[in-house]
Order: sequence, then C-alpha cells, then structure tokens
Amino acid sequence: MLEIDDLYASIGDTPILNGLSLSINAGEVHAIMGPNGSGKSTLAQIIAGHEDYVVTSGTVTYKGNDLLGLEPEQRAREGIFLGFQYPVEIPGVNNAYLLKAAVNAGRIHRGQDEVDAFEFLKIAREKMAQLGMDPKFLNRGVNEGFSGGEKKRNEILQMALLEPELAILDETDSGLDIDALKAVAEGINSLRSPERAIVLVTHYQRLLDYVEPDFVHVLSEGKILRSGDKSLAMELEDKGYDWVREAASA
Amino acid sequence: MTAPALSSEALADAVENLPRSALSATRQAALAQFLERGFPTTRLEDWKYTDLGTIVDISRRWLENGAPVPASAAMDDQIAEVRSSIDADWLVLANGRIMDGALDAAIPGITIKALSELPQGPNFERPLADLNAALLSDGLHISIGPGAEQERPLGFLIIDSAESDPGVSQIRIEIDVAADAQAQLIEYHTSTGNAGHYSNSVIACTLAEGASAEYVRVQNRDLKHSQTQRTSMRLAARSVLRYCGFDLGGQLIRNDLDIDIAGSEADASINGLYVAGDGQHIDNHVRVDHRTGPARSAQEYRGILGGRCRCVWNGKAIVHKGADGTDAKQANHNLLLTEGAEIDAKPELEIYADDVKCSHGTTVGQLDEAALFYLRTRGLDRKEATRALTRAFGASIVSRLPIASMSESLAAMVESRLRGLANGELS
Repeated sequence: MLEIDDLYASIGDTPILNGLSLSINAGEVHAIMGPNGSGKSTLAQIIAGHEDYVVTSGTVTYKGNDLLGLEPEQRAREGIFLGFQYPVEIPGVNNAYLLKAAVNAGRIHRGQDEVDAFEFLKIAREKMAQLGMDPKFLNRGVNEGFSGGEKKRNEILQMALLEPELAILDETDSGLDIDALKAVAEGINSLRSPERAIVLVTHYQRLLDYVEPDFVHVLSEGKILRSGDKSLAMELEDKGYDWVREAASA
Repeated sequence: MTAPALSSEALADAVENLPRSALSATRQAALAQFLERGFPTTRLEDWKYTDLGTIVDISRRWLENGAPVPASAAMDDQIAEVRSSIDADWLVLANGRIMDGALDAAIPGITIKALSELPQGPNFERPLADLNAALLSDGLHISIGPGAEQERPLGFLIIDSAESDPGVSQIRIEIDVAADAQAQLIEYHTSTGNAGHYSNSVIACTLAEGASAEYVRVQNRDLKHSQTQRTSMRLAARSVLRYCGFDLGGQLIRNDLDIDIAGSEADASINGLYVAGDGQHIDNHVRVDHRTGPARSAQEYRGILGGRCRCVWNGKAIVHKGADGTDAKQANHNLLLTEGAEIDAKPELEIYADDVKCSHGTTVGQLDEAALFYLRTRGLDRKEATRALTRAFGASIVSRLPIASMSESLAAMVESRLRGLANGELS
C-alpha cells in the first residue's frame, strides 16, 4: 500500500530524514518508535503532505502511484489519515461542520452521494458513544478548549468517520490518562481490518500493550535502524534507544 | 480647508433645481458652508488615509451632466429581492428620493414624516453633512413612541442606480426613540449599474431615557460605487444601543459613527464587520464620547481583507471630565488574506475623568497555516478551508447580530461575499 524508498527530507537547511525505507501493506499495523528528534513526526507530516518539509530525494508511492505530487486534500480523499500529535484548535469552525465536510469530500471523490445532515449526526453520535465522547463536542469549535485527551479522542473520532485506508497516528497516546488510552486503543482496534493499514508513531511502548503491532521499527537520525516484531518494542522498553544505536553502529 | 473641486455654479444650479420646500433656506446655508469648506482632504488628521478623489470625480461628472436623478423603475427587482430576504417594514429611498408609500406606512406607535414638514431644517455642522443638506431632496423623520409594537423591524432600504451616467444621492434619516420605547431598525444600502455612483448619508438617532434600539446596518453596494456616511447616536440615561454594521460592498467607503453617551447608565455595544477585496477602500471611524458616568461602551470591529485593498479603522473613546464610572472597550481585529491587503488600525483614548475602566486592542494577522493544513488533511481543498477559517473569523461579529430574524440572510450575504473573495481575489 505504502512504499517509501530511500527518502531524504529536510526543513529549511536541516536534514531530517536520511535514507528512510519502509514498506506497509494492507491489513498490517506498524509501530514506528524512536527517540525525540529522530524524524518520526516528520515522516508522518510528509506522508500527509505538509509543505514545510522538502523531499530532496527518494520516492513515496501509495497504492502504486506517486504520493509526493499530491496536495494534502487529495491524499486525504485517497484514504490517508493523519492523527495529529498536537491537534489544532480552530475556534469558530464547528466540529460537526468539519466532520461532515471531511466525510463528504471523500464521498464526492469516490463518486458516492453526500451524506445528509440527519444521517451524519446519527453516525457521528454512535461513534462518539463508542469513544466515550459527549455529543456536545459536535457543536464546539474544532478542538476549541478541548483537554489533551479530548483532542486525541476527537482525532480518533475523525478517523472512525473517515474510515481511511492508511491511518498514521502521531503520538496519539501522549498525554492520555489510562481511561482515555484504553478508549483510544479500542477505537484503533475496532478499525483494524484486512483492507486497512495503521501506523502508530510513538515514543513509548505503552500504547502497544493495547494495540498489538505486527511490525516494530526503530527510527533514529532519520532512518530505520532496526525492524522486528512486537518483541522489539519490549526490548526497547528494557534497554532504551541507545542500545539500538550502539548495536547499529557496531 | 481647500476650495471644492466642483464648479460652484453647477453646484448652485443643482441646489436651485431641487423641488422647492421648507428645506430651501437650509440648502442655501449648507451650500455656502460647503463652498467654503469643500470635501475633507487627506491633510486633515481624520481623513489622512482616505482620499475622496474618486467621489469628487463622480460628483463633478454628475454636475457636468446637469445633476440628473434617474428613474427608479430599474431597481424593482432588487427591491423585491431585499424585501423577500429580510423581513421588515421597509421604507424605500431610491436615488435619494423617498419612494411612494414610505410616508404613509402605517405602523402602530411609529410616526413617519418628511424632514420638510419639520419646523427646523437639518443640521449640517459635520464634514459632508453640509453637502448632504445642500443637495437633499427630502429626508425621513421617524418617531418611535413608547407604545410602538413592532411586529418586525423597521427597515430603510437605500438603493441607487447609475446605469449609464454617474449618479450622486443624498440620504438623511432622523430617528427619535421615545423614553422606554423599544426599536428594531435596519439600514440596507445597495446599488446597481455600471457607471460611477456616490451616496452620502446622514443618519441621526436619539434614544431617550430608558429607550432601547437594536440597530443593524448593511452596506452591500456594487463594487464600483462609493459612499460616505455619518451616523450620530445620542444615548440618554439608561438607554441601550445594540449596533451591528456590515460593509460588504462598495469601492470607496467611509463611515463615521459618532456615539454620544449623554446619560448615566447608558449602554452601547457597537460591532462591525468589513470584508474588502480587490480595489476596495473601507474606512470606519468610530467615536464614542462618554459625557457622564457610570456608563458602558464596547466596540469590536473585524476586517477580512483580500486582493489589493485598503481598510482603515479608527476607534476613538473620549471620557469627558466628570464621566466617572465609565467602562469603555474597543477592539479591532483584522485578517489579511493577501500580500496586497493593507490595514491602518488606530485606537485612541482620551481620558479626563478619574474613575474609569478603559481598554483597547488591535490585531492584524494572516490565516493560521497550521489550521489550514489541518483542514486540508481532512479533505477540504484550500479554497474551502480558507473560507471556513475566514467565515470563523467573521462569525464572532455575525453571531452578535441584535436582530435575530435576519441572521440567516445576513450570514448568507457574508458567505456570498467571502465566496467572491475566495474565487477572484486570493490568488
């Protein structure tokens, strides 16, 4: 589904990704782990189409086509979803408006009829109940005045409504108490399917206790140092990131 | 003051050719003053960002053509459209003339007269009020009595057409709201035609003790047409004003809003939204005089600027000696969508009393790129995301609309203007 080949990228004059390669297939859950500043979030932002990052070489193909030439909205409509590490507060833009506009943008792109307001609200309320979200959040500004946990639940709600083919969740576990973490993990698990790939970008192994990955990758200094199964995450938790770095340079 | 750039003979002829009425004497006096003072120029502090050259030019060409007043039949469709989109008892002023029916409208508790029926001629002290009084055909005087029961707001539909020749029109409306009376008032300005047009309005409204007014002004003129307007509001003790103004159209627009807090415990909320695109110049000067206290005034203006345009906001609050207990707030926030958009924002406070609470703040910003990206990652294209963010920026003013029955149509007008900005002027 997603093929990243020898990707180099920078922001301004600062190189961040240094020859990153990764292959993700439908049905798989990948965890990308690594210390702060290793390039995890950059990778997520590049896949979503953030214009501040410049790809200097390498390729990213998605469902067989070049991804890097697409605008962020085209990527979204093609089924890519980025769950933000820091969801943006947008006062005055109604959460329900955004959710409905987002769902319909995808539907129009796929040649489907737009969902009407009544049907949309029904589905949104169902998904919110599953995530333990108060329906009043629909009528608030997007993320406006939401707590950290509420923002992350709102990201998962968006993902649940958009039903992406490739979901990249950037530090979705950070700042969550245990109840919120469980709710978010359940939300993610309920979306696991043979047609869908999920990428968890995380600093800690904590989320992986609840969402079991098929593959774990360790990212450091802009490239993948090591890949393995879920046991790699356990090992990292015991030995720390230095262990991977030392092993890689040895 | 400089001499007017208009031919004084042509101007005198135009005044002379107006229908004779009790206003004739005032016209001559006002003409004499205008011939002496002329149009305000950029050398005056209050006018330094707004060059009235376009307006002087339209006026000159209009006078050269013999100061014609076009027939208003061409505007029937537009009048019908406004009537159907906003529910109000409309009094129509077309090309500066009071349309048939306006003076006979029967609304319980409300008395409507022509200014020419009043014993005293209109005041023409302030800049451009002299030009207005000199060229005024007639105006409206509205008395809203304590027993007025408005089923719907009273609306002034001010409409002009300049199909092939330049046009100039003068509007004057005086409104008295009696003690403890309640009024809902709408001013809607619109225009049509491809030639240049200049409308000069003077509105004076007094709120007697304990009166309240909910007042909405919408200026939705053709983008080739220009307007100056002076609105004076006088608030007696315990009166309450909820004012909201929208400037969506027009080429060169200058609004002077003077709020006179004349009685204690008066309360004025003044909100405004201006949306400007390519070629527009919108200047809002708001002055609040706190003459006595305790009393409150709060104003917030917001601007959405795209294309190559210029806007001016000047908010002045003067707390006079003895106006203790004044609470005066002013704020102005601007969203600049393009490199070519320019705003001159200036809050001014003059305080001569001791016990006052005053605050002011202005901001100028661009679209939040992080928010834009966030919306785009959800599938909204750049235009839609931009519109959502600009709409959100204006929503805080739209949501304060004091006349709830027109909020839907007003939101649609703002939306339509934002759509125009996004389609033509954001490249």
